[in-house]
Formats: sequence, C-alpha cells, structure tokens
Amino acid sequence: MDFEFIIEEFPGIWEGVPVTIGLFAWSLLYGTLGGLVLALMRLSRFQPLRALSAGITWVGRGIPPLIILFITFFVFPELGLTLERFPTAVLGLSLWTAVYQGEVIRSGIIGVDQGQWEAAEALGMSGRHYMRRIILPQGFRIMIPPYFGNAMTLLKQTSIASIVTITEITLLAQRVISFKFVSLEPLLTIAFIYLVLNTILQFAQMGFERTFRLRV
Amino acid sequence: MALVKVEGLHKSFKDNHVLQGVDFSVDQGEVLAIIGPSGSGKTTMLRCVNLLERPDDGSIEVDGKVLCAPGPDGKIAFAPRGEIRRAREEMGMVFQRFNLFPHMTALQNITEAPVNVKRVDKAAAKARARELLGAVGLGHKEDAYPMQLSGGQQQRVAIARALAMEPKLMLFDEVTSAVDPELAGEILLVMKRLAKAGMTMLVVTHEMGFAAEVADRVIFIDHGLIQEEGPARDLLSKPQQPRTQAFLKAVLERAPMAEDEDSRAAVAAPDETVEEMLLGHELHHEDEEEEA
Repeated sequence: MDFEFIIEEFPGIWEGVPVTIGLFAWSLLYGTLGGLVLALMRLSRFQPLRALSAGITWVGRGIPPLIILFITFFVFPELGLTLERFPTAVLGLSLWTAVYQGEVIRSGIIGVDQGQWEAAEALGMSGRHYMRRIILPQGFRIMIPPYFGNAMTLLKQTSIASIVTITEITLLAQRVISFKFVSLEPLLTIAFIYLVLNTILQFAQMGFERTFRLRV
Repeated sequence: MALVKVEGLHKSFKDNHVLQGVDFSVDQGEVLAIIGPSGSGKTTMLRCVNLLERPDDGSIEVDGKVLCAPGPDGKIAFAPRGEIRRAREEMGMVFQRFNLFPHMTALQNITEAPVNVKRVDKAAAKARARELLGAVGLGHKEDAYPMQLSGGQQQRVAIARALAMEPKLMLFDEVTSAVDPELAGEILLVMKRLAKAGMTMLVVTHEMGFAAEVADRVIFIDHGLIQEEGPARDLLSKPQQPRTQAFLKAVLERAPMAEDEDSRAAVAAPDETVEEMLLGHELHHEDEEEEA
C-alpha cells in the first residue's frame, strides 16, 4: 500500500465528503418525514389511505434502490418532474428509505402498550394530542435501533448515486482508479470514510438510546 | 337521579357473546360494585361506559348525554367523536395495570390532561396535582417516574391523574389485582375516602370486604347477564342465586369453582389419583418404604 499516494489523492476524494453527507442527510430527513406519513396513513381509520400506504411500501421494498434512482432520473422527467441532478438523487434515495423508515415508525407506534392508548383516550385526549404527547415519545425508544440500522444502510447506499454521476466519494474514487490505474488505495480510502461516518451514526444511536431510556 | 343509565347492552368478541343484554344505572353519589367470575363480562361492562369498548347494541347515557343508542334503523349509533371525548373528561378511569405514562413524572402524569385537554392554567394544574398527590400520600414523589414507584404507589398516582380532571364519575377496573396484597390497602383507603366524599363510583372488584364496606349496591354478573343485584350487605351476606352463592364461596373460602365439566371431574377425582398424575409416577408412601 502506497501511503504517499493516498495522501496525495486524498484531497480530491475528500471533496466528495460533503456531497455524500448531503445526500445522506437530506435523504434521511425527507425519508423520515415520508416514513412518518406512510406510517400514519397505514394506521389511519380511512381504508383507502391504508391501502395506498401498503401499496407504496410493497413496491418500494420490492425493487432495488438503484432502479428507484433510475426511475427518478429517467422516468420522472417524462412525467413532467424535472429537478437538478442532486435533488433528483435525494428524491430517489428518500423514496427508497421512506418505505423502510415507515415500517420502523409504524412498528414503534404499534409497539407502545395498548394500555397507554386507553389511558390517553379515557382522559379525553384527541388522537392528535395523544399521538404527539403519549405514543410517539414512547415509540421513539422502540424505533431507535432499527431506525439507525436503516440510516446506516442509507449512508452506504448513497454510493449508488455515483452511477448517475453525482460527485460523491465513490465516484471520485472511481475517477482516481480509472485515471491512475490503482484501485487498492482509493477503495481503502473511501471504505475508511464510510466506516468513520457510520461510526459517528453509531455513537448518535447510543446517545439517543440513553436519552430515551425509561427512568428506573 | 341517575348519573349513568345503561340499557340492553350487548357486546361480542368474535363468537364470544360477552354481554348479552345488560341494564343498570348508577345514581349521583352512589358506589356500585360489580362482581363476577373471570370472563363474566364485568370489565367489558365497565369499559363500555366510557366507550373504550364499543358495544354492539344498547344505549348508554351519562349525565344526561346520550353516548350511544339504537338509531332509526335499529342499529346502534354513536355520538360524534368530539362529544365522546368531552364525556370522557367527566369520567375518570383507573386501570388494573395503572397505565401511567412512563416517560413522565408523577406530577406530569397528573397535569398532562388538565393542561392540554381542559386548558387549565399550568400553575393552577400543578398546584392541584400537588394537592392530589398529598391526598393520596405521595406528596414526596412528584418527581418520581412511574417505574421508580411500587404498584401501590403507581395506582394512587393513577387515581390522582383521573381526579385531576374533576370527573363526575369514577370507573375502577380491578385496581388492586396487579399489586402486591400488602399494598392494596392503601389504594382501597383512598377509594374509601373518595366514596365518603360523595364521588359516584363504578367499581369492578374482587375485594369483597371493600364491596361490603363501601358499596351501596352490588351487581353480580355471570355469562354476560346480571344474575343478582341488591344492597351490598344483603347480596354479599345472603346471596339468593346459586351462582352467586358458588362465586362468593369460591372467592371467600378459595373453594374450587368447578366451572366446567373437566374441572368438575378433576375436583371430584380421588386425591391419590391426581397426586400420581402430578408427579408422573406412583406415590411412594413412607410406611411402605419402612416395610421394605
């Protein structure tokens, strides 16, 4: 392994880190919001909403994220939705992660003890009120581990944006590989970057678990 | 004057017809105890009053407001959601498993609904919550989280939480069944004082001593129907129906109920036969061993 080469090429790849983080952060944000909407639709009293949410989840989980990305890049424009390249990538990754986070949020909500819903209803709370004040705060605790699991998967999956030429770290590493004819060093570099970013996420998860633990 | 009026209540869970036409009423200031064997429908009956359980048929009227009644087509019709919510504000409910909000302190549990449902001023709600905590003997526990409290303490917080809404009626669903026996007394004491203060109470309970002492009237329910009803002392000391007699004997003397054919057969079987079945081999009697 040539450390000098790594140091020499590192700044070029480093330029992609904000792009990778941006793809991840925006997709996680919109994916979480989308997931919340999907989860609430699935738990709605209104049957068509439940069916729509179940349908979206079924399709979204059934096809590869790369295909979803291709659809947002090549099919959506034909339907009249044309965005810049970066937002389009964020859209595809958001749609993909939303269906998974939707299931995580739903399982957190239905995982809250039935007695909590009953106590809240018996006190005359409205559905909106007890969802916000009673159910979701308790559901968070259940959601944290699978939510961060999905978030870490999303972080790694941002690498597929390289295929639609978003200049994130995987694409920049590939460029080094094809221009300099070395593969080990650039690949190790980006593997290391993904690992560090995911480690940060893992610490965030531990922090959240501490914050939302039950006081015993 | 009747505060609660229930007529022709029916409720099924799948094929299980839990309530098969129940009528009862509770007067202002009255304490009504509901007793009956497991699966008799007593808890379902209580949960129908605030519509945590939606009956399949019948009418429920609380404080002059109709919560459900047969509609013009004969099918049961419910009051709009908002009206049901407002009616629930007037009915405090205490559950067997406490159901305190585990992410809130005792004080927050009590102030949550007054502040966010009734829009009571926050400082006033806090002051009232402290007063209530003091009344149930937990003045020093306002910052404790539910899991830091014993079952008996949690249940008293739950009573305070329900009372904070200033209800006209309190529903108690086997509130001592999930606490250690030595902690039941302090819950029952709070309820006793509440009854003395004039609160209208509907109490599903296995505590016959409490029913005898505190309740004005007792309903015995079995197989989804009210089997016997009367003043507490009469019904508990001189039950008329054989089923009531068998139930009270089972509760007070721990006599086996033998409720179906299999359990009747097991109760009737010779002790030795069952002892051998329990151990999975023949009994070795000490005297036999001595002979050998």
